Amino acid sequence: MPGVTLEARELSKWFGSRTAVESVSFTAHEGEVIGLLGPNGAGKTTTIRMLSTVLPPTAGDFEVAGVPSSRPADIRARIGVLPESSGYPGHQTGLEYLTYHARLFGCSRDDAKRTAVRLLGQVGLTERANTRIATYSRGMRQRLGIARALVNDPAVVFLDEPTLGLDPAGQKEILTLVRTIAEAHGTTIVLSTHTLPEVEQVCSAVLILDRGKVISAGTVADVTSADANRQSGRLRVPPGEVPRAKEVLAAVPGVTVTPDDRRDVVVLTATDGMNKALAAVLNAGIPVLSFEIEGTRLSDAFLALTRGGAS
Amino acid sequence: MTAAAPIVARQESRDLWFGGRGPVLLFAYSVLLSVVTYLAATNQILNFLEQRESVNLVVQIAVAVGVLLTLVVAADAISGERERGTLESLLLTPISRGSIVLGKVVAAMSLWGAAFLVSVPYVWVLGRGVAVVGKALLLSLVIGTLLALAMAAIGLLISALASSNKVSLAVSLFLMLALFAPTQLPAMPTSSVGDFLVRVNPVTAGMHYIQLVLLKGHTWTQDLTYLISPVVAVAGALVALAVAGPRIVRLKGGVGSE
Repeated sequence: MPGVTLEARELSKWFGSRTAVESVSFTAHEGEVIGLLGPNGAGKTTTIRMLSTVLPPTAGDFEVAGVPSSRPADIRARIGVLPESSGYPGHQTGLEYLTYHARLFGCSRDDAKRTAVRLLGQVGLTERANTRIATYSRGMRQRLGIARALVNDPAVVFLDEPTLGLDPAGQKEILTLVRTIAEAHGTTIVLSTHTLPEVEQVCSAVLILDRGKVISAGTVADVTSADANRQSGRLRVPPGEVPRAKEVLAAVPGVTVTPDDRRDVVVLTATDGMNKALAAVLNAGIPVLSFEIEGTRLSDAFLALTRGGAS
Repeated sequence: MTAAAPIVARQESRDLWFGGRGPVLLFAYSVLLSVVTYLAATNQILNFLEQRESVNLVVQIAVAVGVLLTLVVAADAISGERERGTLESLLLTPISRGSIVLGKVVAAMSLWGAAFLVSVPYVWVLGRGVAVVGKALLLSLVIGTLLALAMAAIGLLISALASSNKVSLAVSLFLMLALFAPTQLPAMPTSSVGDFLVRVNPVTAGMHYIQLVLLKGHTWTQDLTYLISPVVAVAGALVALAVAGPRIVRLKGGVGSE
């Protein structure tokens, strides 16, 4: 079992009378990618700011790589953070920017430059190393921010909405990078994001916050199975076959077809499990394009747990 | 505690000078000094202004505007970074907040240093022939540095506490105007109350000291008591910055926020 790199115990934060985070506890291990999820205002950024020592917690404590929260400067030396909506000095080049930050983490001038060059290569910005940051695209800036979060070879990296405002290709690039960092360096990554399908692929565990409280935690499978309704499913067939599929399914004992207007999807409920329903459709020669049990996706669990994210 | 201050100072100074703000401010400063020097020189030719008075006028304006520029740069140093989103990444490094503050003070002071250098030829042109140039420049350097240091520290305090960059700049400019306005009142030190007000205000006290040494020919030590308030202002502002800095240099501005 990999070692514990991050442990939060009953962390709370109040801003005046408003509770931003309440009694958040969790642990993370070496090489683990934890998805920190929740609707806007759930307390994700506040949690990250407390764990990265930028905000002092009102109550509770935490440890990062064995360093207690009472030693914030030592914690900052062991973590890397990409803050939400991080700004960049446009007149600096990527190389200057990373070199400066490496120097702030105690590297000598030569080491800092070497680190900067290596990290720029790692995030695919070698060719733009000597270009002003003002000319970088949003995706490039996010990759530069991730590189900055790695200048001190951290034990834990916090990424707050790293895919915000990126197109699908940019999102994929960032998430691939996240996975590579965790696998190659054994770094623990805490990833706050709204891109749930990608979280399912990248994260080994998730922590769902709502109104400052942890409402669900565990592996993606744990979280989704808790909410899954195994009696309900979605069957996708060619559009012309939908009426016949509905007819066949209605004849199967224990199966109810839910009225639905979609051209190629049949939503059904089966009290005796789905096997008979699927067999009936296949035996009737209707091609099944896909079949999905309702509630097994992280987004379903997320919406159910956060009541549609309406908080 | 402040071991990383030179690294911060170097980068902040680079940002100021290579980012374009420093050169633009300095260019505006030199244009202003050119105009003032031209007017003082032409008045001198017409015998409206005695040569020492011309030198005194230019030194006072050079110090006042140089100190103002230093205050403006300091007032933007923390609140501006907050608004540009670059402060958080600085706070996430293991360096102390004291290092951040000290580095920013040094960078702001680099503008005063450059302003002083720019003022040298103007003072030299006006003061030729009356053996006052050396004295004027030394006075400008000493008093200007004291006032610039005090204003840089005060500007940083305001910047750290202000809820926005706009508030920080507005408060700093108001403070500067409030401190400089009395220097324009001609007969202030003639009454005891007036003299007290001149001595209490570090800016008027510093300017009056320059005037006494340059125009009235007093010795440097004769009116040293006028320098008490500038020295106290420097010490007070730096101590306040050192004590309060670690607590007020934070992600969100505004009194009472975290």
